[in-house]
Amino acid sequence: MTEPALPPRDDDDFQAAEFALGLAEGEALTVARERARRDPEFAARVALWQERFVAMTDGIAPVEPPKRVKKRLFAQLFPKKRVPLMERLWVWKGLTLAAVLALAYVAMPTLRPPAPDQPGPIFATQMRGDVDDLELLAVVDPARGELALRRLAGAAPDGRVLELWAILPDQDPISLGLLPEGESLRLALPEALSGQVPALTLAVTDEPPGGSPTGGPTGTIRALGTVNEI
Amino acid sequence: MDREEIERLIARVALQDREAFDTLYKRVGGKLFAVCLRVLTKRAAAEDAMQDTFVKIWKNADRYQANGLSPMTWLITIARNTAIDRLRARRKGHQDIDTPGLELAAPGPSPEQAAVAASEAARLSDCLDRLEEDRGAALRGAYLEGETYKDLASRFNVPLNTMRTWLRRGLIALRECMSE
Repeated sequence: MTEPALPPRDDDDFQAAEFALGLAEGEALTVARERARRDPEFAARVALWQERFVAMTDGIAPVEPPKRVKKRLFAQLFPKKRVPLMERLWVWKGLTLAAVLALAYVAMPTLRPPAPDQPGPIFATQMRGDVDDLELLAVVDPARGELALRRLAGAAPDGRVLELWAILPDQDPISLGLLPEGESLRLALPEALSGQVPALTLAVTDEPPGGSPTGGPTGTIRALGTVNEI
Repeated sequence: MDREEIERLIARVALQDREAFDTLYKRVGGKLFAVCLRVLTKRAAAEDAMQDTFVKIWKNADRYQANGLSPMTWLITIARNTAIDRLRARRKGHQDIDTPGLELAAPGPSPEQAAVAASEAARLSDCLDRLEEDRGAALRGAYLEGETYKDLASRFNVPLNTMRTWLRRGLIALRECMSE
């Protein structure tokens, strides 16, 4: 090296300028980055050089970025909100608790005659599809012959209605009725299903207004779930 | 550009305020995109660098207060460094020059110092022009085109160490000119 000897302040200042310009490489870059992070005086030198160099962009006139840049940016930073897991869990627990309370109510001999069935297991499923974001939670209480449904996300496509189906192995789907617009729904489980809940799959299809004209599903399956004991 | 307004927006972005982020994008997006475009020249690459720049701004806005830079310097430097990293990314063994949000130790210069620096900066072009022509061009090449010592040495057809000495003298002359 044939560089003239300079006072250390100049060395520091040169190192800071090199770092601010992006000319530091390898070991020198690692060292400068570490100094900038820890040494306030060195950081101040870097900041000063950055303030000076930035004037080289003064003559650069703004250029409107294409709209797609912002669209992609916002999609990256703020992805469409899915219902967070904890919230799902909470809803799930809420429904279960409601079912348990209902069972307790049913079992209270002073309030009601003894329930015909002993309180039994409860089944649930989270129904989803890959067509859109329709998502529902279903809880089935075979002992009381009830099904509770909560819609977490999604809606019927324009001009269509959503219909709920019970599917059992080797049988035609059984319609459980149309889904109302609202968030939740309780319905009575048809007699035919009562003994077979552990094998039950629930599905939602879109159908013409008024429901399937044939008695069987005719539209696209938009959400599907097989129940599990909880 | 109103310094205080941009500073307030960055402070709100640090609190993850999306509306402020949207406003900041509207206020400075054009300038930052132009800087990315100047460095990268190709629109597709500049669009990608622009997106990366704003992701860094969103994630690091809380570090802005500490580093003592003026708000536009902070924003433009992130855009410039991000664009240069993208430009150099295809080279073997490239190390990114950008640190997330420009990690500088606190306290940096006080706001007064930064303001002084900003007014000094207005004289930069003049001072660059007063440098020996090659040295001014080398500095611009390094800052706006991301040229490395190796690039500059081959462009001016001098050995690497000579290039480094040139730049060192150029920077000292520049600093003196700007504080005159």
